[in-house]
Amino acid sequence: MTAVAAYGLRVELPRAWEARLYRRAGPLRAAGHPEAFGHPDASVNPVLHLANFPLPPGRGDFGTGAVERMGAAHVFVSLVEYDRAEVGRPLFAARGLPRLRVADFAPQALQRRLPGQLGCQRFFTVGGRAMCLYVVLGSRRHAADLVDETDAVVTGLEVAAA
Amino acid sequence: MIVLVLVETVLLAMLTVLVAGLLRAHGTVLRRLHALDGGVGRDAGFTMRPPAVPTTRPDQDPQAHDVTGETVDGELVTARVADVDHDTLLLFLSSGCESCGAFWGDLAGPLLLPVGTRVLVVAQDRDLESTSALARLTPPGVDVVLSSDAWRDYEVPGSPHAVFVDGPRGRVRGEGTGQSLRQVAQLLAQSTGDAGFVVTPSTGKPGRDARQESEVDQALLAAGILPGDPRLYGEDV
Repeated sequence: MTAVAAYGLRVELPRAWEARLYRRAGPLRAAGHPEAFGHPDASVNPVLHLANFPLPPGRGDFGTGAVERMGAAHVFVSLVEYDRAEVGRPLFAARGLPRLRVADFAPQALQRRLPGQLGCQRFFTVGGRAMCLYVVLGSRRHAADLVDETDAVVTGLEVAAA
Repeated sequence: MIVLVLVETVLLAMLTVLVAGLLRAHGTVLRRLHALDGGVGRDAGFTMRPPAVPTTRPDQDPQAHDVTGETVDGELVTARVADVDHDTLLLFLSSGCESCGAFWGDLAGPLLLPVGTRVLVVAQDRDLESTSALARLTPPGVDVVLSSDAWRDYEVPGSPHAVFVDGPRGRVRGEGTGQSLRQVAQLLAQSTGDAGFVVTPSTGKPGRDARQESEVDQALLAAGILPGDPRLYGEDV
C-alpha cells in the first residue's frame, strides 16, 4: 500500500486514492485558480489533501479547484493544521482523530455549495496539534461507501506529537 | 612459415573483433549522449500496445507505475496512474531540452485528448532540473511533478517522451516521441483509432481565456491585491 509521510503526518492510501501534502510558505506559482495564490491569513502549516480522483494543481486549502471536478462517487479530504497558539481554544477541544458517520454530512457544511455534494467539518486536537478535517462527498447515493472508506483512511492517519 | 601465417591470421581476427567492439561501443555512447542532450532529431513515432496485429498478450504490456515526487513549489505528490478509472498521458519533459519547447507551447492551449484523459508532465528531480525555468515554462493549470523515479520506472530514453497509460488495466498502452504534443496526439489517434485525440473538445475554457485570467491574477497579485481584498468588490478604501 502506498504511503505519504512528511511534516509529522503519515497516511496510507487505499486503491485509487492519491495525495498532496504541502506547507504553504508563500503564494504558489503557476496556480490554476486565484484561491491558490493564498490569502494573507492562509495557513503556513501542513495541509494534506486526499482524494479518490485526480487532484489538480493549484487547489485552495479547502479544496477549491478540486471539488468542482468531483463525480458522484468521489470524495475529497483536507486536513489542515492550525497554529500552535490555537491548541487549548474551545474550537479545538475535541481530542483525537474524529470518526465519520453518514449522519454528519450535509450540504450546509460545504465551504462551497455545489449540487449533490455533502460536507463535514471537524475541529480537534491530536498530539498537541490543532487541526481541521474537512470532507466532501460527491453524492448522497454513494455516501455510505465513501464514508466507510474515508473513515478507515482517517483513523489510520498517524500524527506525530508536537 | 606456416606457423607465422597462422599466428598473423589469428592476430588479425582478434584485432577485427576488437575494432568492431570499439565501434559498437562508440555508437552506443553517441546514442546515449544524444538522448541526454534532449534527443533533438529523434524520429517521431509512437509504439502502441497491443499493435494492430497482436503479437503479444495484452497482459504482457509493461506495467504502469504511480508517479510520486514533488511539485516545483515543494508540494509532495502521489498521483495514481495504474488501477484507476481514467487514462493518463505522461509527458516526460525538461526545461533545458530545446525540442520540448513545442510541447510546453501546446500545453498552454486546449488539449486534443479523449475526455477524461489526465495529462501529467514529469520532469526530473530538482537536483537535475532548473525549477525556476520550469516555473516559467509551465502554463497555468498544468500539473508538473518532479520525479526521477518515474523516469527510471518508465525507462525514459530522453526528453521529450510520451507514455500513454491505460488506467483500468494498469498497463502502458503506447509510448514514443514527436515534434510536438499535437503530433503525439495525431500519432495516438492513428494508432488507437480514437478521434478524441484530434477533435477539439467542445467543452472547457479556451486557452486564451485561461491565459488572460492568469495574467489578470498575476497583475493583481503583483499589486498586492489578494483574494478577498475589498478593492475587488468596489468598496471604498
